[in-house]
Amino acid sequence: MSDIVELEDSMESGHEMRDEIRRISHRTHARRVAVSRTMVALCSVALLIAAVPLVFLLWELIKQGAPQLNKAFFTTLPSTPTLIAPNATGGVSNAIVGTIALTIYASILAIPLGVLVGVYLAETESKMATSLRIIAQTMAGAPSILMGLFAFSFVVHDLNIGFSAIAGSFALAVLMLPVIVISSEIAIRNVPNSLREAGLALGAKPHKVSMRIVLPTALSGIVTGTLLAISRAVGETAPVLLVIGGGFINAWQPFNPVSALPLAIYQGARSQWPSQRAQVWGIALVLVAFVFVLSLTARIWATRKQQVRN
Amino acid sequence: MTQIPIDLHPDDEVVAEFNSATTVRTWYHYVLLIGAALFAAVSVGFVGTIFWSSLPVWLHHGVTLLTGTGWIGPAGPFGGVPMITGTLETSIIALALAVVIGLGTSIAIVFFIPRRIRNVVATLVELLAAVPSVVYGIWGLIVIAPWMAVTVDPWLNSWPFAKVIFGNPGQQFGGSLLLASVVLGIMILPTFVAISREVISVVPQDLIEASLSLGATRWQVIRNIVLPTAKIGLYGATFLSLARATGETIAVALVAGGVANAQFHLLYPGTSIAAWIALTFGESQGNEIAALMALGVLLMLLNFGFSLISRALVNRQRKLLAIV
Repeated sequence: MSDIVELEDSMESGHEMRDEIRRISHRTHARRVAVSRTMVALCSVALLIAAVPLVFLLWELIKQGAPQLNKAFFTTLPSTPTLIAPNATGGVSNAIVGTIALTIYASILAIPLGVLVGVYLAETESKMATSLRIIAQTMAGAPSILMGLFAFSFVVHDLNIGFSAIAGSFALAVLMLPVIVISSEIAIRNVPNSLREAGLALGAKPHKVSMRIVLPTALSGIVTGTLLAISRAVGETAPVLLVIGGGFINAWQPFNPVSALPLAIYQGARSQWPSQRAQVWGIALVLVAFVFVLSLTARIWATRKQQVRN
Repeated sequence: MTQIPIDLHPDDEVVAEFNSATTVRTWYHYVLLIGAALFAAVSVGFVGTIFWSSLPVWLHHGVTLLTGTGWIGPAGPFGGVPMITGTLETSIIALALAVVIGLGTSIAIVFFIPRRIRNVVATLVELLAAVPSVVYGIWGLIVIAPWMAVTVDPWLNSWPFAKVIFGNPGQQFGGSLLLASVVLGIMILPTFVAISREVISVVPQDLIEASLSLGATRWQVIRNIVLPTAKIGLYGATFLSLARATGETIAVALVAGGVANAQFHLLYPGTSIAAWIALTFGESQGNEIAALMALGVLLMLLNFGFSLISRALVNRQRKLLAIV
């Protein structure tokens, strides 16, 4: 502030003003550069601090998880350790089967409806479309435990289906739906209007234009969004914890109670047996590997298609 | 010369005819409409079902839920204060950690690191977001908790007056509110970075270059040009992270200790709304389920409120930059 006052006092001529600016600039230069260097260093330190958890987490996952993985881990059912055999944890085949079943049912429920709503939002301009968009964006951030409460009230209690794979899939589908809606709307909006108009000008009906022209062009964006939705749903514990029931058999049928990988981690971590607490690292490693592969595929797919279009 | 009258207001009939000729309603539009209606029904059902299931508790135990401190199932009382304060306390501390580290990270990613490795770093941050909540939970419980009990907690308690904030429960290896806050902070960091990075990177290059050409240092540009321009969007990122933090469930259930204590000291175990639902739902029945649903309604109000504020702020930032 004092610098500016000094400047105003000595504004008699352009030369004097220029010299004054130079003088102030020289005087403050060292301080400004020092402050700038410090802050740049601090920001870089923040970036390093942000990277530390990921490195440690992955290190811990691989170090503790990899020794747990063997053939029995993937193919046998879990067993409860006893005092005589404290390391008899068995495998997690029931959780693997359950997670695959839950993911498939949830995808069947969520993907067609999600893409349909995405098309609707992209192709219509109305009050209803605007409010649906806000609803989708709010639902996309809703706490996952609430999906579990919803599935419990509606599927388990009101429809009287009981603890089952379909109840868990319902919760996961509600979780996936807004993500698919938002990403397909964006993908479909990115399709150039000239393509639509060309189709319509050739006399194609609106549904033909959508099915043959718009959706194939937007496919990569839709697939990316769907993969991200699936990768989020696969790792969710809270919604399935309340409604799938668990169980120690390889169940996959929609109306049976099933287990799931995140649930097995949650239960193992709270176990009193050290061997079961050690096994959760193996399950976590499998889960994280699966989720990383899905999200990296989605990301690579998205960037590659972008390059092709450019 | 006779003036040819030009009708600037054509008959409504003509307009209707024109509209119906251009927007043909085929079966396809009805399929889309049905899909949209179904989605709306799911969303309304989502809010409605949870609220409806919690209604008995709001009618009979509403005051206890908002002001009481004891939770005894299955008949009650159902005091929600420990969960509500636990949620707010852990979320706000987590947010403070995430904003300080995250803002520096975003600035470093956008301005300081070479373009070539920028994408790699961005992908790594996104992978942090993809790690399932339960994995953060076991990591916090099995790795971080013992480490904090041995190194961080004694150090914190060596400060004068630290007891006022942290309490002094002695060495304990289980969960605590502080541990939950730290793990939550790590978990919401990628959310904050993703949005703040986007907001910062769309600050017009002209402004930055103009400032640099006047002799400003890099930090002066960031401090006086970038951050003020991106301010509203950064508030939006903050509120979205806060919404995420309030809703995080399983990690908090594993690392907060899972005790419904009505106290604020950070080294003692506690719980949050979402974690309490996850921890007690399995063994609850009757009225206790309704009480947990009522906690769910509170959580929904908190989360949706923060989400909508965040959305409004980010939209305002977009409009602002469109004008600049």
